[in-house]
This record gives sequence, C-alpha cells and structure tokens, in this order.
Amino acid sequence: MATSLRLYLTCIRNTLEAALCLQNFPCQEVERHNKPEVEMKTSQELLLNSILICRNEAEKCLIETSINSLRISLKVKQADELENILTKKFLRFLSMRAEAFQVLRRKPVQGYDISFLITNFHCEEMQKRKLIDFIVQFMEDIEKEISELKMSVNTRGRLVATEFLKQFI
Amino acid sequence: MIAKFHLAFYSKFIDKDKTFGFEVPYLSSFPPLCELRLERRFFSMASFERVSPALKEILLKLYRAEKPVEIDHHLYEFGSVEYHVQSSAADPQNNYLSISTPLLSQGAMPSYGLSSYSTQMVKQVCSDAVEIVEPAKEGYQLTLKINFAKIPRGKDYFKVITQISSVQAVILCSQLKEMLRNVNSQDTSQGMNKPIKLVYHPREPFYVIRQPQKITAVFPLRFKEHSDVIIATAFFQELMDVGSSEKWAKAPPCTWSPIPPPELRGEPLEDLSTNGGFVSFEISSRHVEDKKLDKTVWSLLNFYAYVKKHVKCTRGFIQRRMQKRLESLVEVLHKEKLEEKEDVKFKAHAECRYVGKLVRLSKPKNFKRRCRDLTRKIMQIRFRIKIHGFRRFHRRWLTIPNFSSPLRYTKLE
Repeated sequence: MATSLRLYLTCIRNTLEAALCLQNFPCQEVERHNKPEVEMKTSQELLLNSILICRNEAEKCLIETSINSLRISLKVKQADELENILTKKFLRFLSMRAEAFQVLRRKPVQGYDISFLITNFHCEEMQKRKLIDFIVQFMEDIEKEISELKMSVNTRGRLVATEFLKQFI
Repeated sequence: MIAKFHLAFYSKFIDKDKTFGFEVPYLSSFPPLCELRLERRFFSMASFERVSPALKEILLKLYRAEKPVEIDHHLYEFGSVEYHVQSSAADPQNNYLSISTPLLSQGAMPSYGLSSYSTQMVKQVCSDAVEIVEPAKEGYQLTLKINFAKIPRGKDYFKVITQISSVQAVILCSQLKEMLRNVNSQDTSQGMNKPIKLVYHPREPFYVIRQPQKITAVFPLRFKEHSDVIIATAFFQELMDVGSSEKWAKAPPCTWSPIPPPELRGEPLEDLSTNGGFVSFEISSRHVEDKKLDKTVWSLLNFYAYVKKHVKCTRGFIQRRMQKRLESLVEVLHKEKLEEKEDVKFKAHAECRYVGKLVRLSKPKNFKRRCRDLTRKIMQIRFRIKIHGFRRFHRRWLTIPNFSSPLRYTKLE
C-alpha cells in the first residue's frame, strides 16, 4: 500500500475511533421518535464539529458527528474519464444495494461519491472496532477494485483490437 | 447491421415470443466472460455470421419436407432487408427466393438491381441448384429459383443451403469489393478523391475515400450513452497502439480522432457530428490480395457491430465484476457480525467454565466465596435488616400516593 494511502487511512481510522462514541438520544422535537441527529440537524447543541480529511484535491473524507449518529462521506479519486465512469457505476451499484450493508446511505452527500450513516443502534449491534475496520477496508477495496477494473477494461480492449487486426493479416 | 446475433427479425409466421425464443439460445451459446483468458476464445467464436438464420431454417424445412409444402413467407431483417420465399405444392421443383436489400452506395451503383459484379459473385456462391431469375420480381433486387431436387443428398445439402442463406451478405460484400479491388488502378477521373458514403445501416454510414495507392475507410461513431463513448474510446486507443506496434505492421494503419479527418471536408454536418470520434483505416493493395479481399471487406462492414459488441460485453463484464465484489464486501460485514456472536457465545461459555472451576476450589476458598456472595446479597436488598411482615406494613402505611399533574405527561399502561 502506498505511504500516502496508509497515512490517509490511519488518520481516518483514528478520527473514527474518537468520533464513534454514540449514545441513544431521543428526538427533542418529536415525541417517541429517535432520529439520527446528524441527518436531522434540529438541535445545534447535539452536533459536533465535522472533520474533513484530504489525501489530495480529488480524494477526501468528511466525518460529521452528532450525539447519536455519525456520517462518513467519501470522495474517490478519478484520474481520467474511464476511472470516472467506473467509479460512478460501481458506487451507484453499491448504493442501490445499500440494504445489504446496513450502514450505507442510499444517496451520497452532495460533493461526495458515497456516504455511510452509523447510528448508536449499529454500534450496539456491532462492535465499534469492527465497524471502523469495515469502513477502512471498504475504502481500500474500492480503490483497488477501480484500478483493477480499469486495467481489465484496457486489457480487454487490447485483446479485442488484436483480434480485429488479425483479420487483415 | 449484418451481425446476426443482433438479429431482430419480424416475419409473418414467427410471433414475437418465438422471436425472443430464437435469440436467447443464440446469445446464451456465447461463452462466459468471467475471466480475461476467455476473451480471445470469445472473440474468435463471435465471428459475425453471414448466414441469415431465419432464412436458413425455412430453406431447411422446405428441403426436409417429405410432401410438397405451400409456403409464402416474407422475412424482414434489420428493418430494411426483405426476403420473400415462395413454394408451391403444384410445382415443388421450383421454389423462389427474392431479396431486397438497401444498396451500400446509391451514387456508385446502379439505381435499381444489381451490378454485373454482384451478379457474378452470387453465381459463384450458389450451386447448380440455384438459378438467377431475370428480371427479378418487382420490388426486389434479386430473385433466385431453387431446385431442391438438384441439391445433393447427404452432408453437402447443409452446406449448399447455408450458402444460399448468405446471399444477402454476398450482395453487400460484392459492392465494397468492387471498390476495394481497384486500389492500384491509376484512374484519375474527376472526383476520384471524393468520399463515397456507404449506408450499411441508416444510422451508421461510413465513408470510403479513394486515394493514390490506397483507400481510406472512415467510420464516424455515435453512441447513445456517455459510458459507451468512454469504453469505445479506450478501445480505439488500444487499437491505435496495437496497430502502430511492429508486430502488426502488416495490418492497415488505424487512426482515431475526435474531429473529422480532412478528407471528409464538405460532407453534411449531420453526418460529421459524432460523440465517439472518427476511426480511419488505410487499406493498401496488400490487404485486398486474393483471399484477403473477402476478409478485409467483411471486417470493414462489421466494424460498427464489432465495436458495439465490445462495448456491450465490457458493460456486462463490469456488471458481473461489481456483483462479485458486492458479495465479497458484504461478506466482510457479515463475517464481523458472526464473529461478534461467537464472541458473545464464548464469553457465556467462559462464565460457565468459571463456575465449574469454583466447584473444584479448596474448602477455605469456597467458604470465603460464599461469605462474599452473602455480603453482596445483603447489600443488594433495600433494608439491611429484614423484619418479617415489615414490607407489607411499609407498603400500606409509609408509601406516598402518586398524584397526576395536568401539566405533566402520564405514561399509559
């Protein structure tokens, strides 16, 4: 793994470890409701400062925290048009199957490619350490998958081009 | 397009379900594309068929029929190719096949009917069992009289019928062959360098430009979706890279440009407005020698289909890959959940084991533990000293009654 990526992921991991101290907190506006405050943003006192971690201009991670929920938004590197469509296709594909991930948001926050929403209930159901591991692993996998996909598409193109030109010889 | 796997034919005798029923087994016969090493095999297999499958099926049915059959079928392929098959029970020896196909180029070819070269090519392909009827039936370019009795019995009949079914591809190829075979001709007539527009498919015209010692084929490429444009562009870059390598020096030089090449200057704007750019192949005399001519013509005619097939397959490949990746990503999360459950079970089991261990403790230690437990229980109860009947007395006389306030919320039981 590249040093810059390792540092970037370590920083995200440490920030998540500090930020994931969620507790059950009923909604202050609506009785008997329990809503993620980071989404509702009804009471300013329940929100913490959001943290933006940037690897470079194209890759960044926004961590927004509140008393009972945390939202992580990721922007994935897209070096060229091919990477751009592959990233869009892949992340859209994942977002459409968000129910499989539980913590994945169906629509990413504006300006980002994919968003996660972790509530206190997720933390109760799953271990905090494992959740953080999953997020970090997910980020690593996405980057790896997109670069692999790009390579595969180019390799396919080369093979097809070779087969086409072979017909003339 | 001629690519038969994209076949969408509508005939009077085949209903829509049957049409799909025909396409599915055809498509499913393509090998899976899960791994890149299969790609080579796939593209060598997916050679675009010259034979019309529907026509072949009808001709085979007619040939195999024990009794003379009365047939009058109209088949349509790709929206613009029409076949008319006629067979009379009264005259089983003479079966008629009429073909109407859009001509590649209206300018270079006779306005109606086939050129002498095309007719010659058709004659070469078809066996003695087939005779060209002149003039062709009204509305068709070519009419063939087929005598099934003259088709040899045994294995050869299949080959002959396959050849007859590919007659439309022969007509199309012959038109381009006629242009390409004159690469070295020193014809300096006026308008020699003028691009000839070949309309193989209404939405996919391409140009052939005759130049000294070479012929340039230019393909303006259009795609419906932006993602298709990107995949195709990546393919064109690879095509240029591969073509420019020493190993492929004998292949026709290929160039891709997002803007129209200078040779197409003056052509209608709607033909030059593309989103996929322009791919050009420079065909020299080497590529049209003897047997190579046929392959070159077929490759050029199928270039659009080839690109579109590649784009479609790549999209499928990406989709499959994403599906596979999704499973592995979800698996990580589920594994973690399972591990957590196992952790809980392990803890519970550990507690049981701890109790088991206590049983085996020595007597003074056991006594100490019991004392500790008793002390904890005493601490847990409300009153340190337990008086018999005091709890009832406390409940009756010392409890403060609950008063509900109108201002406060009362939980409903």
